[in-house]
This record gives sequence, structure tokens and C-alpha cells, in this order.
Amino acid sequence: MHLHKFEKIWLIFGIGSLLVFLTVLGVSAFYLGNQPPSCLATIDPEKVDTQAPFNEPGLKKVEGKEWEYELVFVASAFNYTPGEVQIPKGAKVKVIATTKDVIHGFEVAGTNVNMMLEPGYISELVYTFNKTGEFLVLCNEYCGVGHHMMTSKIEVVE
Amino acid sequence: MAKTELNRNTETETEIEVEDSSSLKGTLASVFLLGFILIVTWVSVYSLFLDRS
Ligand SMILES: [Cu+2]
Repeated sequence: MHLHKFEKIWLIFGIGSLLVFLTVLGVSAFYLGNQPPSCLATIDPEKVDTQAPFNEPGLKKVEGKEWEYELVFVASAFNYTPGEVQIPKGAKVKVIATTKDVIHGFEVAGTNVNMMLEPGYISELVYTFNKTGEFLVLCNEYCGVGHHMMTSKIEVVE
Repeated sequence: MAKTELNRNTETETEIEVEDSSSLKGTLASVFLLGFILIVTWVSVYSLFLDRS
């Protein structure tokens, strides 16, 4: 098979950049441990309110774990519980969230905390809040007529 | 009476291929342009992700 010299160049370039992208993703997934926020932990969406940890939404200090705090959020049409929460600056927090009804989003604007909340599944994500200030929590999955008003607030304090 | 044009293609087809199509310079340039656009967007999004984590 005859290949033009230019064809060889762009084939090598294309395959090379594909390999670089995949290597970066592979290191991120298997070495740094990044995974999808919803990773097979399930819950009965009808019994969310009575089951731990969702029976007590809010920030809780935990001992002996890789993270210092657990922040529990329950989403339902069209609000989040808690509606406002304070976090000390520099805290390594595991956000644990689920929904009681339809699919909702959970995005902390300006950070990497951005996940989908699906009925029946628990979404989790570890994040260190290094900047003080107010952060808007918003729903970015269309969930009904009140979708645009569905917000919460995280305040990172010294 | 109208004539059928069934035989027309076979004779002219060989004459169209006179242009020099062996030069791939333009293709090379556009392939690399597209490649660099993909790399720049991928790297900028990924560095935004790293910057925020
Ligand atoms: Cu929504």
C-alpha cells in the first residue's frame, strides 16, 4: 500500500494526539481516582427522608476518613435542603446528594462540583473549598416549571 | 427525436481527470488547522478543570 508523505504525517499526528488524550484520561481515572459522581450507590427515592444520611441534611464533621466533612443535600421539585449552608475555608468536603422525585442537577457555580442527581441513585463528589465567598448552587437539569428558581447557597467562611 | 444519453458518461470521464490532484498541501494545512483547534480547546477546558479543583 502506498501512502503519500503528508498522509503519513497527519496519521502519526492524529494517532499521537489520540494517545496523549487517552493517557491523560487514563491517569486521571485509574491513578488519581476520578470517577463519575454516581457510582452504583442506590437508594429507594420514596424513603429518602427516613434513611441515613439523608434524614439529616447539612454539613457534618466526620472522623477517620479521607475527607473532614460530609455535606448532605436532598433535592426535590423545586428546592434543595438545606437552602443555605456554611463551610469553613479549606475544608475537604464529600458532597452526598440525591433526589426524591425527578432528575435534578447539582452545580456549585465556579467550581468543579457539578453532578446529575437521578432518582434512586446517590451522587458523591469530594471537593476542597479553598476560596471564601458565596457560591450559588443551581439545578442544571430541566425539572419542571420551577426549574429556574431552584437554587441553594454555600458560604465558605474563614 | 430525443436521443438517449446513456453512452455519454463513459467517454468524457477520462478527460475530466486532467487536473493535478497529487498535491496535498491544502489538505495538510487544513488537517493541521483542525488538529490544533481540537488541541487548543481540549487543553484549555482541561486546564480550567485543573485550575478549579
Ligand atoms: Cu431543574
